[in-house]
Parts: sequence; C-alpha cells; structure tokens
Amino acid sequence: METSRDDFVIALRSAFLKKGTQQRFSLLSLIFFSIIFLILGSFNFKAINYLEKTIKEIVYRSSFIVSGPENFLENSYLIVSSHLKLYEENKKNVAELSSLRRKDLSQKINILENIKYKKLIDDYFIGDNEAVAKVLIDKQSPFLRSIIINKGSKNNIELGMVVLDEGYLIGKIVEVNFFTSRVLLISDINSKIPVSLQPGDIQGIMSGKDKQEGVLQYIRDKNLPEINEEMQVLTSGAGGIFKSGIPIGIIEVGEDLEINENKMVKFHRDFSQLKYVKVVSYTKEKKVLDQSSKNESETLENEIKDTNQQQETLRILIEQKKIADEIRVKIQKENDFLRNERIGLKKENDFLKNKVLTEKKINQKNKIQDEEMKFLKMNLYYGHKCRKNFINNGYKVGTAEYRKCVLNKGLKVNG
Amino acid sequence: MDKIKKNNITQYILKYIPIILLFISVLNEFDFNNLGLIYFSFNFSYILIFYYSLKKSESLGYIYIFIAGLFNDVVVGTPIGISSLMYLLLCGAAAYLRNITLRPSLIKDSIFFLITILIINSLLFMYLNFVFNYELNYFDQIINITYTYLLYFLFAKLFNFFEINILGNRHAG
Repeated sequence: METSRDDFVIALRSAFLKKGTQQRFSLLSLIFFSIIFLILGSFNFKAINYLEKTIKEIVYRSSFIVSGPENFLENSYLIVSSHLKLYEENKKNVAELSSLRRKDLSQKINILENIKYKKLIDDYFIGDNEAVAKVLIDKQSPFLRSIIINKGSKNNIELGMVVLDEGYLIGKIVEVNFFTSRVLLISDINSKIPVSLQPGDIQGIMSGKDKQEGVLQYIRDKNLPEINEEMQVLTSGAGGIFKSGIPIGIIEVGEDLEINENKMVKFHRDFSQLKYVKVVSYTKEKKVLDQSSKNESETLENEIKDTNQQQETLRILIEQKKIADEIRVKIQKENDFLRNERIGLKKENDFLKNKVLTEKKINQKNKIQDEEMKFLKMNLYYGHKCRKNFINNGYKVGTAEYRKCVLNKGLKVNG
Repeated sequence: MDKIKKNNITQYILKYIPIILLFISVLNEFDFNNLGLIYFSFNFSYILIFYYSLKKSESLGYIYIFIAGLFNDVVVGTPIGISSLMYLLLCGAAAYLRNITLRPSLIKDSIFFLITILIINSLLFMYLNFVFNYELNYFDQIINITYTYLLYFLFAKLFNFFEINILGNRHAG
C-alpha cells in the first residue's frame, strides 16, 4: 500500500515537475502561468489586456494567412459549382426579377410611408457611422460563433455596432482591437436579439442555435391570429441596441398556427459564406423641417431672442433702479445731515452776527468815548484858544466849529 | 521512403510536423471541433497533444503547447489562458500515464484519454459557464467528447504509421 502511494507520488512529480528533453519549462510552471493569465484576465488586468490585444493582432493576421490555402480551395469549389449551376440559376433569376420588379414600386411606397410614420413617432434612425469590412477569420467555434473583420478602433469601429450583410442582420461587434474586431453572429447561443414577427407584431427574443437557425424565446403571444403564411423576423428595436426593422430571417408557420418556443428562425444569410460585411451604427435623425416650418421656427426663435433681450434689459434696468434707489437714499440721508448742519451753522452765524454787531456797537461806543476823552483832553490844552471871548475871536463852546478847532490844536479853520 | 529518410532537410521538417499540425489546427478556420454537423465534432488538438505527449514527448514542447493554447483562445474567443491550461493538464495526464506504464496498450491509453478529456472538458464547462457566463450546449460537449475518444484510435494508428514508416522511429508505438 505504502509502495503504491510512493509510486503514484513519484510518477506525478516526474510528470509535472521534471523538464523533459528539449523542454525549457516544467509543466507545473506553465500551468501556473496559465492560471495567472486566467485570473488576471478575469480582473481586466492592464498588462494582460495589452498582451491579449497584441496576440490577437498577430494571431488574426497569421490565421488569415494559414487559412489561405483552404479558403482558396473552398472558393474554387464554389466557383466551379456556381458555374455548373449557371444556366438553371439564370432561368430562376429571370423569373424572380420580373416578379420583383412588380413588387419594387409598392415596396418603395411602403418604405417612404414607413419612414414618415417612424419620423412621426420619433423612432427614425439613420446610419451614423458606416464601414465596409473584410472577413478575416470565420472560425465557427463551439463556444463562440463569431467572425473576425479587418476593421478596428482605427476605423472608428465601436463595441455594439450592428453588422449587416446586404441589409440583413448578421451580428454585432463584441470585441474591438486596433486593426481588427470580432463580430458575434446572431447564430451564437449567447446572442439574444429582441425581435418582432410580422405579420402579427409578436414580440420575442431570438437566440442562436445552429449554423443557419435561431430559436425564439420568451414569446409574448403564443397563439397566432389567422395567419397562414411564412412570417418575417425583424429586429424590434427594444432595448435600443438595434434599430427596429432590420430583417433577420423567416419562420415557416406550421399547420397548427401556433408558435412555440422551439420555433426555428431560418436566417436570410448564409453565415459560412460571408466575405464582406457592413458595420453600421445608428443615431436618431435630427428632425427635417420644411421651408414654412423653418420660417416659423426662425420667427419663433427671433421672438424668443427678443424676449430674452428685453428680459435682459429689464433686468439691467431693475438693477440700475435698485442702485439709483440706494444712491438716492444715501443722498437723502446726506442731504438731511447737511440741512441740519446748515441750520446749525445758520444759528451759529446769527449768533456770531449778533455778537459782531454787539461788538461793533461796543467798539463804536468806545470810539466815541475815546474821541470824547481826546476832545476833553485837548479842550483842556487848547480850549482857551478857540473859545470866544473879548480878546479872542473864537467860537461858541459846544459848536461843531469849536470842536474842530480844539481837535486842530487851536487852529482856526475857515469854512 | 528511404530517400525521404536520407534527406536531412526533409527529416528536419518532418520532425516538426506535430508542432506545425498543432498550430495549423488552432489557427486554421477549418475546425474539426465544429464542422457544422449537428451530431459530429471532435477535438483534434486534444488527440494530437495527448498522443505526442504520451508517445514522443520531445516532439511537442510544453512551451509550444502553451502558446498554441493562447492562440486557440484568441481565435475561438474564449478567455485567454483557458485552452493553455486544458492542453497542459492533458500533457500532465499523458506524462503521468507514460511514467506509470510498463507495457503500453492502445486500449489502456484510450481509456485514460477518455477520463482525462472528461475531466478537462468538465473543468472547461464549469469555468466558462459559472465564471464567464458562457452558455454552452451540454449535448454538443458530450458529442464532442465521444467522437474525440472514438477517433483517438484512428489518429493514434495514423500517427504511429507516420512515426514508424516515415520518420523511422521504431519506439513510437
């Protein structure tokens, strides 16, 4: 028992740890590397993402080259077989052409009407970004039914863009590299597309099932109305990923007139024969206006502009008024203050004036008194010279001439 | 045959045939793993890796197998590293079988191969389904495993023939 366990351990160790001849790494170290890749990859580690992108660019190109001979053989076979079928196909095409010509005009009218109604409900999308790409690799793996195209982020390809083949939906972009992108085909089991079945307008989800078939899931109405013809499967536009009305395939309704969840959708396009595809993104169209509406809109716009301008002017005026009011109040206050000041000053002025007058009066009085004093003093000295007596021919005391004479120190002044 | 054996350049190229086959099988659009038939598919890479790791381990370097796995992930669109891990686990199983086998027999090898691919496909299924939310068809996986197992006999004989009669390696079987 002990020996067999030892043998097992030795064999296991030898298998995983021993480097064989011409082996640079042991198996365990490489397994370890793979696990690291997986773990870091699941966490979107930057270095792993760069490595992944580099490997992708290399591998997609090499795969295109490696697949060259096989593709050449396949294409040659297709050319030969189509050449052999040429006569029959031509007959069929001529018949089909004449019937299609008849349908063409009514279809054009329908398309125009459809556009008009979609515009009315604001659900009209127009191609925003469009690119035609070549299919590099068409490896239908069991895990992911996808194709690789030769356009990448360099050509403005973005995740989620719709991929069409001659107007029919074939998939969407799920991976974008610099020069290449991966398209998840609608035949993949992971691809879930909101679809609408016409006629009947039955909504549902379509999932991929097989190379040329899809399966309906989550159908709202299982019972069909009285429809006994094949049904068209179109994108419903629900979820906003795809534009509504892109044709996908057909459903052949059976005699039981009932759709069940296993109902198969036959795709219009053969996914194994894809060579060139169109990658499109859609945006809502800006409403197109006719001339009168344009004029109306212009007038309205001008009116709005004028109103805005007036409103602006009004706002400015209100602001100015506010400022003016503030200034007025300020000035009024100042004015009041100045008035009070003026009244105070006037009072002071009056008071001073009175004071000056009083002073003046006092001064005058003093002056008169001084003059009187001076006269009296000089009268003492020169009175006898001016007085009229029997020897002196003078003036009568108390007259103005007498006073003048005294003040002139006794000198008689004539006239 | 003798002329081929004597020509050194041809001999050199033939020596690398398994590696070339492995890289072509992972890079080529034509995939046995998904032939577009409902009830038929098989994993050629598994058969090639198991056979050469068991019988002639020096023909396929582990590092080449690791790189082939990375390439396969990129082409197929699975998370990078998962195919490498599966291929290397297959190599490990083959190396273990080589170490414990005294008298090789195709039946025993094939049974061991069946168990190994059952385990690694289960691992792959669980990892893709539970970690990355890939929806896989269980029935397709079973079909794939069954045919891979059954075709192991055919390809083992073919590789034996190639090794013995073209490369002149008498110890291959």
